[in-house]
Amino acid sequence: MIFRIDPTSGEPIYGQLADQVRAAVARGEVRSGERLPSARELATSLEVNLHTVLHAYQLLRDEGVVELRRGRGAVVTGSSDPDLSDLHAAVAALAATARRLRVAPETVTTLVKEALR
Amino acid sequence: MTAPRPTPPHRLATTLTTLVLPLATTGAAVAVGASWAPRLPDPVATHWGPSGAPDGFGTLTEMLMLPAVVVPLFVLGMWALAFFAGRDTSTRRLAAASSTFLAVMMSGLTIGSLAAQLDLPDAAAGPGVGPALGASVAAGVVAAAVVTLLVPRTAPQPTTTPPDAGAPRTDLAPTERAAWTRTVTSPVGTAVGAAATLTTAVLAIVLRTPGMLVVPVLLGALLAATLVLRVSVDGRGLVARSPFGWPSMRVPLDEVVAARVATVDPLREFGGWGYRVGAGGRVGFVLRRGEAVEVERTGGRVNVVTVDDAATAAALLNTLAERTRSPRTTG
Repeated sequence: MIFRIDPTSGEPIYGQLADQVRAAVARGEVRSGERLPSARELATSLEVNLHTVLHAYQLLRDEGVVELRRGRGAVVTGSSDPDLSDLHAAVAALAATARRLRVAPETVTTLVKEALR
Repeated sequence: MTAPRPTPPHRLATTLTTLVLPLATTGAAVAVGASWAPRLPDPVATHWGPSGAPDGFGTLTEMLMLPAVVVPLFVLGMWALAFFAGRDTSTRRLAAASSTFLAVMMSGLTIGSLAAQLDLPDAAAGPGVGPALGASVAAGVVAAAVVTLLVPRTAPQPTTTPPDAGAPRTDLAPTERAAWTRTVTSPVGTAVGAAATLTTAVLAIVLRTPGMLVVPVLLGALLAATLVLRVSVDGRGLVARSPFGWPSMRVPLDEVVAARVATVDPLREFGGWGYRVGAGGRVGFVLRRGEAVEVERTGGRVNVVTVDDAATAAALLNTLAERTRSPRTTG
């Protein structure tokens, strides 16, 4: 992603940086799990103080936009788990059917285990 | 592209390191091997089985064909690449290293395996080729490393001409600073590389050749170093580097003639994935098919990096390069 800062604008630089990450995530330019450049790299690139970038990253962490991991830098968060709602619906239907047919829970789980083999 | 491209620099050094030295080495090995004819068994051992014992035999002439014909052909090809397309330092280094490695390794193997058969009545009674092979590969690697250091670098060629007016630009206010960064990985390279690493590891275990485990270890390290890259564009220019810092490529802002978006087919245009020298002497990191930043650079060089969002990167690179040519007057 592109980071643009304007030191002459009234907005503090860490705020400008945080704004750009938020916008990039919202636009889908940066996906969840993607690693942002390390604070040191970005500070060197933009010729700003390391603490300015760290300040922006901490702000984003507090908002839940990124996770800060030791040695891995800032990683964009967001639920990357697959959508399991179909499975939950199927399990509910299975339980209802078993109750209606008065099948013992042990028998049902055995059947499910065998079907999954 | 622009009109006549300048010829590659350091052609004398290229000829010495990539052609003369490797050919002299191979020639000497062939001459020594031929001079041993009266003391060698006929036929000589030319092939060794997995147990180490000789299992293929042929005349001395057949044995010397590989270093006398195949190696010179390869060396000539590498020399031609560096002589006619070696505008980048890395192209000339790759050519010199490949040429030297093959020449030294094959010379060592020829001499080593023949020396072990001197004064033997029957080649079948000869020893294994293992020690000679190990020593030859090691000698080849060392010689290639030394030659790489001897290859002179292309001198910096800064320009004051603004970047090509037709190349894309970013709309950047004079007071704004900007940096672009992105990582790129190689899906095909990861799959092929993991398979190769695993296969060689299994082979080493099955063949009970612990020394061969060096191959998967080196392969794994090489893959880890070249399959992920961080690409950035900022005041230092275009930089593409692995997480380990090596290998890396840098195009300084004052050498940018024009940056554009290109579409790259690694296999067809570069013969594979990784840090490559491709058709037309283009040099760079091609980690996957598709979008790439292509930078036309001073000295007739062209550098390529495959990366997503290449349009943003190319435009920013041109804009930042232009700034270095026309210094801002405002403070």
